[in-house]
Amino acid sequence: MRIVNPTFGIEPASEGTATAAPVDWLNDPMILFSNNKPNAKELLEGVRQRLSAIRRIDNIDYIAKPSASQPAPAETLNDVVRKYRIALLALGD
Amino acid sequence: MPDAEVLDIPDMDPDAWADYVEQQGWTDGLPLVPPTEAAVARMVEGARGDNEPVPPITPRLMTPTIRSLAANAVMAGCRPEYFPVVLAALRGVLVADYNLHGTLATTHSCAPMVMINGPLRKTLNVNCGSNCFGQGWRANAAIGRALQLILNNVGGAKPAVMDRLTFGSPAKYTFCFGENEEESPFAPYHVRQGFAADESVATVISSEPNHNLNDHGSTSGIDLLTTFAGGIASPAANNISAKGPFFIVFGPEHAATLARDNWTVEAIQQFLFDKARVPLSEVSAENRYRYETGGNFPENGAFKVAPTPEDIHVAVAGGPGKHSAWIPSFGGTAAISVRIKPPAAA
Repeated sequence: MRIVNPTFGIEPASEGTATAAPVDWLNDPMILFSNNKPNAKELLEGVRQRLSAIRRIDNIDYIAKPSASQPAPAETLNDVVRKYRIALLALGD
Repeated sequence: MPDAEVLDIPDMDPDAWADYVEQQGWTDGLPLVPPTEAAVARMVEGARGDNEPVPPITPRLMTPTIRSLAANAVMAGCRPEYFPVVLAALRGVLVADYNLHGTLATTHSCAPMVMINGPLRKTLNVNCGSNCFGQGWRANAAIGRALQLILNNVGGAKPAVMDRLTFGSPAKYTFCFGENEEESPFAPYHVRQGFAADESVATVISSEPNHNLNDHGSTSGIDLLTTFAGGIASPAANNISAKGPFFIVFGPEHAATLARDNWTVEAIQQFLFDKARVPLSEVSAENRYRYETGGNFPENGAFKVAPTPEDIHVAVAGGPGKHSAWIPSFGGTAAISVRIKPPAAA
């Protein structure tokens, strides 16, 4: 029998391939990005402390999205992209 | 996952078909109606003239075709005349403020609630009265189920994979009802949202199933509302931490008592906003820190359960009995009302 595929959809248009310069993991500015769940900040601060053993941390900053249940505002993401080369995300609960 | 819009598969008996859709990951666990080309064509005809594109559906972000949406409506058991309601509800959950991605990625037990207003409730035999949140009515069952199948199949929100609810919810099978406008002493919900009384409207919100509010004893409006305020002031509901909207659905008997005592919808909202508070004694220090960090501070020693009185949405449904319903939301969501487009004349 012939059926209509209930999963069918049209793929999102590709936005092309971005080429970025290689990341310098020891020196490039880094953002620690929290999803605003409980203890995410403490977790990320622990990560920052551990990173101090292997890299500079004076250019590692912290940010949290305003609500755990809603996406980060576009302006926040754009700001992060503009200022940092590396992002570590706290995801999940 | 097959990538063609039409699939040529072997003929199979009902048992083999049930196994096939289970293997494909298309089912909610119950048997599905085969979406043959002919059945889908009849479903599409039910939305004749609706040429408004449907946006991509998260998390796969695939843009559906009218036929792939109709295939899910067929599988859910919809009649073609239900399809415009399914499309309106789908457009509602795709409005940014509904926060579909967040409501799927969360571990909270939320599902899309669909409330139908207007004349189509009667045309389609949507249950608005006794057992309106329950089983037994094809329109209620199939419309809510079709929306959920679309999110699963086109959207790719597979349970326990991209749909991360800790427990899930029975409302994930279907959660669709009509407002009991005929027995409501208040203006219909959609009219209060700015629609005409003769328009039909689907309202969606990401919510838990109904929580019962039992009050057989109180005989005045203020005593009923005092009971309800206590019932919805829960320290464990998402509304306290996420500060979002929720619904309270009065049974007709309770609604009649409120109206007899001259309670308007606005006065009810204000009363519940003021009185449904969670005292600090019921909130742990850790949670208090968390709420305050998120900008939700206690007032007079208690936390609010809604940001504003208008975030307490009031409707009337159900049948005889001294019960009402509290429908807590995901929190970070919104109640979205979308006009149902009647099919164009042939």
